[in-house]
Amino acid sequence: MKKRYLPLAILATAALSLTACSSGATGGSGTDATGETLNVWIMQGTNTESDEFFERVGDEFTKETGAKLNVEMVQWADAHDRFVTAIAGGTTPDIAETGTTWTAEFAESGALAPLDDYVTEAGLDGKLVEGLVEAGTLDDTLYGMPWYAGVRSVIYRTDIFEAAGIAVPTTWAEFQAAIETLKTSNPDIIPFPVAGDAEQLTYPWVWGAGGEVATKKGDTWTSGLDSAKSQAGIKFYTDLALQHGSSTSGATTWKETDVLDNFAQGKVGMAVMGSWTPATILDKNPELEGKIGSFPIPGQTSGISPSMLGGSHLSMFESSKNKDLAWTFMSMMTTGDFATEWASQSGYFPGETTALDATVASADEITQAFATQMVDGGASLPVTPKFGAVQAKKTTNTMIQSILSGEKTVEQASADAAAEMTDILNKK
Amino acid sequence: MTTTIQSPAAVGTSGSPAAGGPGPRRRKAITIAAARPWLLLAPALIVLAVLLLWPLVRVLIFSFQDYGLREIVSGDTNFIGVDNYVAALTDPQLWSVVLPNTVLFAIAAVLCTVALGTLVAILMTNLSRFWRTVVGSAIMVAWAMPAVTGTYVWVWIFDADNGIVNQLLMGAGLMDEPFNWFTNRWTFYLIVLINVVHHGFPFVAITVMAGLLGVSKEMLEAAQMDGAGPIRRFFQITFPSLKQVFTVVIILSTIWDFKVFGQVYLMPGGSGTNRSVLNLGVWSYVESFGQNQYGFGSAIAVLLTLVLLVITIIYIRVLMKEDEL
Repeated sequence: MKKRYLPLAILATAALSLTACSSGATGGSGTDATGETLNVWIMQGTNTESDEFFERVGDEFTKETGAKLNVEMVQWADAHDRFVTAIAGGTTPDIAETGTTWTAEFAESGALAPLDDYVTEAGLDGKLVEGLVEAGTLDDTLYGMPWYAGVRSVIYRTDIFEAAGIAVPTTWAEFQAAIETLKTSNPDIIPFPVAGDAEQLTYPWVWGAGGEVATKKGDTWTSGLDSAKSQAGIKFYTDLALQHGSSTSGATTWKETDVLDNFAQGKVGMAVMGSWTPATILDKNPELEGKIGSFPIPGQTSGISPSMLGGSHLSMFESSKNKDLAWTFMSMMTTGDFATEWASQSGYFPGETTALDATVASADEITQAFATQMVDGGASLPVTPKFGAVQAKKTTNTMIQSILSGEKTVEQASADAAAEMTDILNKK
Repeated sequence: MTTTIQSPAAVGTSGSPAAGGPGPRRRKAITIAAARPWLLLAPALIVLAVLLLWPLVRVLIFSFQDYGLREIVSGDTNFIGVDNYVAALTDPQLWSVVLPNTVLFAIAAVLCTVALGTLVAILMTNLSRFWRTVVGSAIMVAWAMPAVTGTYVWVWIFDADNGIVNQLLMGAGLMDEPFNWFTNRWTFYLIVLINVVHHGFPFVAITVMAGLLGVSKEMLEAAQMDGAGPIRRFFQITFPSLKQVFTVVIILSTIWDFKVFGQVYLMPGGSGTNRSVLNLGVWSYVESFGQNQYGFGSAIAVLLTLVLLVITIIYIRVLMKEDEL
């Protein structure tokens, strides 16, 4: 927090390097940081071509600033623990990719540097995707620079739908009718798996029915999972499995990765999946090329059922020795050509509105539905550092799994989950 | 100096320090002699203190604090007395689900591991050298397999849709619908039990076999001459002479089976989604590390250490006589 303002000279060079980066030409020497190294942690698995991508980013970065770029890939699964150990041991990188639900948590601990001044100086105010800014803001201060965003929509098998004569469903009733048709036309496949260990596949039905995950009034959070509307949504979703046979008993313990694996193996008719998954599906099973399509998650009677606008921020650690150099890298990654390229390679959407518009405009058919979902049906989870604890405790997953396994009714399970969530969110 | 330093034996028998020679110099000689073993042990002790004792002390200090991410970043302390211990011990989930799962599972796993390991050890001592090598190598493979790999293999075997168990049962006409083995508390722990025993029995088998080879053949023959059957021979001659081996094997197995984490956490629903299968390892991880409550986690770790210490002391008391200690 010591450095709330930037020395003018560095600002000028930062602006220089910004323009240089967006035009793709060498704009003079830029910031002179020769001999320095910028350490960056990036999550593995987002982009299959990331090695080659960061090689080029590194070259460009060295050309701009003279400094070396050291990118280290980190697994999502152990990233949180690695951040904590790095913070404890004082070995944090200068910049790290942080999942949108983590940024507030690390910011609250005081590990991250505020970014508002940099964003304002770069003229990016109001030009960043709102949902990502919201998720990266704590106490009116921005700690997470929007990098990329993704949403979940329905991915389906166009070949099977065509053969069975099913039109793309636009309401829940049509969705259920499509499942019934799939059951008779293709008895060997799972029409629509209801995964019991995947909270993100649950929320669209809660929001679609008009319910809320949690709302804040004054200083108090209240979970809305047990409201009549939420319960109706949860009941519709779980009844697909329990009453209409759209799922399997195995799916009761599935995670999102299991849904993806089974879809890639050709065992699933349609499923709610992320905008980043089509590339992976085709990578795992090239035979599905041309046989998959997507549509936004239908609304209860019309419109779209929202899904969470998730994604990643780039965060700067307070311990970084050269914050201006770090910002140079941040702006290079999150605006301009590199941002658009990263998004199109990984199946995500850029976090900057100009780049986002460009991506949406040039989107292929399968990405189009995700773009619609993102613009018209992107929702955000409660923005509080405590929501990470709710996710760690798997409150929502527990609710769904206990309904699917027959342990609890929708009313019991949602009441228990709401009580637990309210309790955790209001812990001091 | 050479004249004053005596052998330890001489010092031991010399009685009072004033027995001979000038007092102060002689006292110095005794302290050097008494300090010698400690001096020799010092390097090892210092390493142990740094690597083991200091972390233990830190855990103890953390357990009396509300220690989260904020404290890690700032390095400040935040003492709250015994609140963490109170919170841990008054959690209803601990008593209704977590402890029963942990204790019952540990008892079952230790019994099965030691029984199976002993049976395999007896089998191996009765085999020829060639077959003993074959069996030994085979069980070594089970032992060498990383716990994570082993867990995934068992998860695949019991997978609801594609697992071989469900396909066999359905093929044999015993089941109409695929059954999800991971949603039921008992079948879930049955799979964990198979996994843990499969991974743990080779250690017992090899250790017990080493002990069995040392049991006096004459005694066994004499007992046979006196008309003792194989079961009686095992419990009256073999088992008593292997007491120390069994003590070590049982204590180690108990400690391992009490602390089972990965084998549960990696199973479908085992990472906290299915609350009825929580055990102490997973519960403490979800409640502390998952929610950045490191002080709370430390308190649980201290409690677990105390419980295991008590169990170990009881075992040693029961299995060994006073004079053997």
